[in-house]
Amino acid sequence: MASRDAILRLPVALRQSVVTSRPSLASLAPSSPCSSSPRPYATETTHATPESSVNHDEVSHFNAMASDWWDPHGSSRLLHLMNPLRHQFIRRCLAPDGLDPDRKMRYLDIGCGGGIFAESAARMRNVESVTAIDPTPEVLAVAKKHRRTDPLLLEPGRLTYLQTSIEGLQTPSDKQYDVISLFEVIEHIQRPNPFLQSILKQLKPGGWLIGSTIARTPVSWFTTKFVAEDILRMVPRGTHDWNQYIQPQEMRDWARGQKELNTSDGVGWHVMGVVYVPGFGWKEVKGSEAWGNYFFAVKKREGAV
Amino acid sequence: MSSAATFKRLLALPPAVRRSFYSTAVSSSEPEIYDVVCVGGGPVGLSFVSALHSHHSTRHLRIALIDSQDLTAPHLDSPGGTYSNRCSSLTPAAVRFMKSIGVWEKIDQPRIQPYHAMDVWDGVSGSKIHFDQQQGAGLIDALAEMVPGNRFQASRRKYEAGEMVVATMCENRNLTGALLKRIEELKDERSSSTLNMLAKTKVDSIALGAEAADESSPDFSQWPILSTSSGQNFAARLLVGADGANSPVRRFADIPSPGWDYNQHGVVATLNLDRDLNASELRTAYQRFLPTGPVALLPLPGKKASLVWSTSPAHATALKALAPEEFTAAVNAAFRLMPVDINHMLSASSDSTPTSELSWREPATPPTSTGLPTNFPRIQSLQQGSLASFPLRLRHASTYTGHRVALIGDAAHTIHPLAGQGLNLGLADSEALAKQLVYGVEHGMDIGSSWCLDGYNSERWAKNNAVLGVVDKLEKIYSAGSGPVVWGRSAGVEVLERLGWVKGLISGAAAGRG
Repeated sequence: MASRDAILRLPVALRQSVVTSRPSLASLAPSSPCSSSPRPYATETTHATPESSVNHDEVSHFNAMASDWWDPHGSSRLLHLMNPLRHQFIRRCLAPDGLDPDRKMRYLDIGCGGGIFAESAARMRNVESVTAIDPTPEVLAVAKKHRRTDPLLLEPGRLTYLQTSIEGLQTPSDKQYDVISLFEVIEHIQRPNPFLQSILKQLKPGGWLIGSTIARTPVSWFTTKFVAEDILRMVPRGTHDWNQYIQPQEMRDWARGQKELNTSDGVGWHVMGVVYVPGFGWKEVKGSEAWGNYFFAVKKREGAV
Repeated sequence: MSSAATFKRLLALPPAVRRSFYSTAVSSSEPEIYDVVCVGGGPVGLSFVSALHSHHSTRHLRIALIDSQDLTAPHLDSPGGTYSNRCSSLTPAAVRFMKSIGVWEKIDQPRIQPYHAMDVWDGVSGSKIHFDQQQGAGLIDALAEMVPGNRFQASRRKYEAGEMVVATMCENRNLTGALLKRIEELKDERSSSTLNMLAKTKVDSIALGAEAADESSPDFSQWPILSTSSGQNFAARLLVGADGANSPVRRFADIPSPGWDYNQHGVVATLNLDRDLNASELRTAYQRFLPTGPVALLPLPGKKASLVWSTSPAHATALKALAPEEFTAAVNAAFRLMPVDINHMLSASSDSTPTSELSWREPATPPTSTGLPTNFPRIQSLQQGSLASFPLRLRHASTYTGHRVALIGDAAHTIHPLAGQGLNLGLADSEALAKQLVYGVEHGMDIGSSWCLDGYNSERWAKNNAVLGVVDKLEKIYSAGSGPVVWGRSAGVEVLERLGWVKGLISGAAAGRG
């Protein structure tokens, strides 16, 4: 049964970006497909580091793939296909607050890559502006070039690309973001705690941090490392470090440790497991977050600063 | 915000954009940017823009519809007067679509005619198939009545309430008029409508835009730019070809449209029958398969009926040359005489008129030998000026979408144009594309990109290809479980094979109910 599921599940596509600290001992840990040991550093508190979280090895990896971000049959195809689900998930999170058609929101997209999500968010009617950041200059060049194919996105202030790490992003307190997105990024972070905490500073009270990633299971090792990188070569080898994958429970445990976050089910915390079914695309599969790709969302309390 | 970040952000903005495209003073040579430019204002193109403008997610889209013809509601005669010879047999799915976008209530209702059954017979063997919406009526119906509260009785009530129609006959200009009225209404609902209807405007050329002047200007090199006879130019995020079988949009997108010409012409006419039926009576459509092609009589209100006779080009020419009363006799003969006699009647060497041929052949041809339905009406006269003919052909575009291009209706496919399915398929395309654009807008897609349009192509292309193809029709008829179809099947493949055209009609109607 498990192997059948594994075959049905498709590899997660490419990371949109890499925002990570310098390689640590964690990356040297033996890569075992058979054990799901707790991820090093995943939940422990570490000292926030003042330096940039950008890993230059990973940056050059994504430079090499920059050219085919927008190729409908390129290696980013699965990310494009996943993009509608991101909007559906965001809508689900925002729905209880009532979707006021006149309320325009400010988005921050971290690790925007070629701009797949950032462009789509900037076209939404309820979005005032999207700030999209990525440390890789070549993918940002791709993003800016592609933005020019749609004059709507060139309207002043609608979509702004910045080459920066999250630590380097200056945001005044009255310009915090309603939605901060972190799609297919967190699994590249070796020390998520300081990284996520610098994100929370940018989030407006009542705003949402929304992301997607992959659970660290034998299934995800088989599909995203073995099948996707070695067998089908759908994504370039070395795209993922399976040891850095993160469990939904680990995400939630981290969020519970942050007093400014609301983590009660369906109010301040959402999770949605998704599976790629060849020929049909990405589908929500309840419970699949435990072993594959999933979305997560956590809300900053209204009273928080 | 710190001054450094402010500066960075300002650097990221493209000032040239404001100058060239979002200023209020746009020079006449600059293309106006539209989200959707639809070329073609026939029923398919009009239904497409109505659907977009009716939906809250796509209402804000900037839409231009361009047609070389006038775009005002055509004049319709009073009931009992004349009827256009260009009618379509709208499936329940097409009617449902028209209702969903507020068009059906604008239809001139006394001029449409639903029909509830269809009698089809084979001119060679006399084999008959009767279709209606109570499949399995008769024995099953009788048995069902013994079981209180069963579903057959519910379906019978629906049938009696007039909901269970096979299809509804509607003049194309009646539908066009309703669509135009609905579009006017939608435009009036909002003070600043984003829908621009360009009547009597020709598209002079379609070409890709120019490379961007500099690094911060928009890049229109992959956008279709239309120049029109009015002097306006349009840049289309999505260019929709609803521009018919010889679609200039399809040519621009370089999409091949393979197919073949049937060596057949379709003869159409509006006829007067001997019986005046009132609106509440159940109506039947009739179709007979002759070796030269099918001949169909489709009911219009009162004593009117629409003729669709597919036949050889020589017979079509002969028919059009006949005097009105001779033509009337020829149509009566086409449904009543043996095929060999019909061929003789219309052959160039024949020295007798259809009237004389009918008068001495008919008494010698018992209805049981030809399969003539007992309730078949007699055609009394031809409505003056309603006789016309068209060559029949089949074309199917190899894809319905390209970058910033989508094809709907006859631009995408031409089938036996008089089967009535052409318009039904076109309306289904229009509904599917509008639905796909709603999805695209709600998910932040560039609606001209393949990420958005792929869904439309995959939904419609295979379906249309199936309707166009013979295999699917056979499959459908063989998967039917109703009495008459099973009976027909037992008579052998040979009979069913000759009924390909009607199977298309039926499977189309069945699909529309799914």
